[in-house]
Amino acid sequence: MNAPKNALLLIGSAKKPGASASEALGGYLVRQLAARGQASETRYVARTMRSESRIGELLAAVERADVFVLAFPLYVDSLPYLVTKALERIAESRQGQSAEGAAQFVAIVNSGFPEAVHNQTALAICRQFAKEAGFRWAGGLALGGGAPFSGKPLEEAGGMAHKVIAALDTAAAALALGQPIPDEAVAALANPVMSPRFYTLMGGMGWRLEGLRNGVYRQLRARPFAS
Amino acid sequence: MKTTILNGGLAGDRFTDHMQHLLQAELSDNGGDATVWTLRDEKIAYCLGCFDCWTKTPGICRIDDAGRDVAASIIASDLVVFLTPVTFGGYSSELKKAVDRSICLISPFFTRIDGEVHHQRRYDHYPAMLAIGILPEQNPEQEAIFTTLVERHAINLHAPQHAAVVVMRSQDEQTLRSVLHAALPARETERQ
Repeated sequence: MNAPKNALLLIGSAKKPGASASEALGGYLVRQLAARGQASETRYVARTMRSESRIGELLAAVERADVFVLAFPLYVDSLPYLVTKALERIAESRQGQSAEGAAQFVAIVNSGFPEAVHNQTALAICRQFAKEAGFRWAGGLALGGGAPFSGKPLEEAGGMAHKVIAALDTAAAALALGQPIPDEAVAALANPVMSPRFYTLMGGMGWRLEGLRNGVYRQLRARPFAS
Repeated sequence: MKTTILNGGLAGDRFTDHMQHLLQAELSDNGGDATVWTLRDEKIAYCLGCFDCWTKTPGICRIDDAGRDVAASIIASDLVVFLTPVTFGGYSSELKKAVDRSICLISPFFTRIDGEVHHQRRYDHYPAMLAIGILPEQNPEQEAIFTTLVERHAINLHAPQHAAVVVMRSQDEQTLRSVLHAALPARETERQ
């Protein structure tokens, strides 16, 4: 099997460039592929889906790619609207294509829950997309509690990122050889970054602080639609 | 019984519209009252993932469009019906656009449900949930994903009851009516 030459990263977060955990995770993986000689290109779904010409550019980039990496946040148990729309368009443009010899497709999903299990349905949807759109499914990586990685490259995220980086390194090494992501990388990333008890404690404090900062501390449990 | 129907059919999808009409007829036979949202016809911006609906304008999205109205309609109902083409096993983009905007209905604070971390409820009452997926033909893989998605979604929406059914575009009208009739066990649910 020839080594892949082109990697495409599609960032599925609606946040501005540089601000999301999806970009931190996907960006790190693609930089590791670039370090192994692959050309890489990054596209943002929020920008892309604004115009037909940009959607056309995405579809062309998908056709050039040997490795297609989709990194996105979990929205209500599955893929965000913009990502779903993008995948609908990609699948439509690739109708009838065979997965044999096709690009590898990798999904990386992160959620605001500490356990990675919440991401499994989204990964099943991604795998089904790969099948229908004629990609080779190279595996899905799920991270729980992804919020602390937002807004900076993983390399700058400190000790908490070590095992995430190790898992992505393992994934990149396999993908660079045209192989699927090893199970150990999937399992390593799925391990909670912090204990669920600590995560929920810190999360609760974070929401209260935000409420305080925004002057709505006492309204955080408001019910504006209550009849 | 107050029902909200979210029609997630894409442009030109007449079958999903037909299913909506069959569903309305079934609900009407039971004396129900349905509010229908044909989502592709509504101006609904996508969720920005900003969490302002939790920390700046608690319980309401900062974007003032039909997405707010759909969320309000859901929480005021006894039953919410998600009607959607099954898309890679999941919801269609049109349905997902509205569903993403519904996180204002739950609280940012965490709780444990069956050992997993989820968000707390914001309201005392949530609607029962029925998801009707539409496939061109039988596809056990997609049906399994869809069923799991609905189960997970029901937990996070704090739905007191939920059901997922999948119909095929090739099925005849009598069969479709029977499926809908059987799929509405929540029709006895009344808001308390």
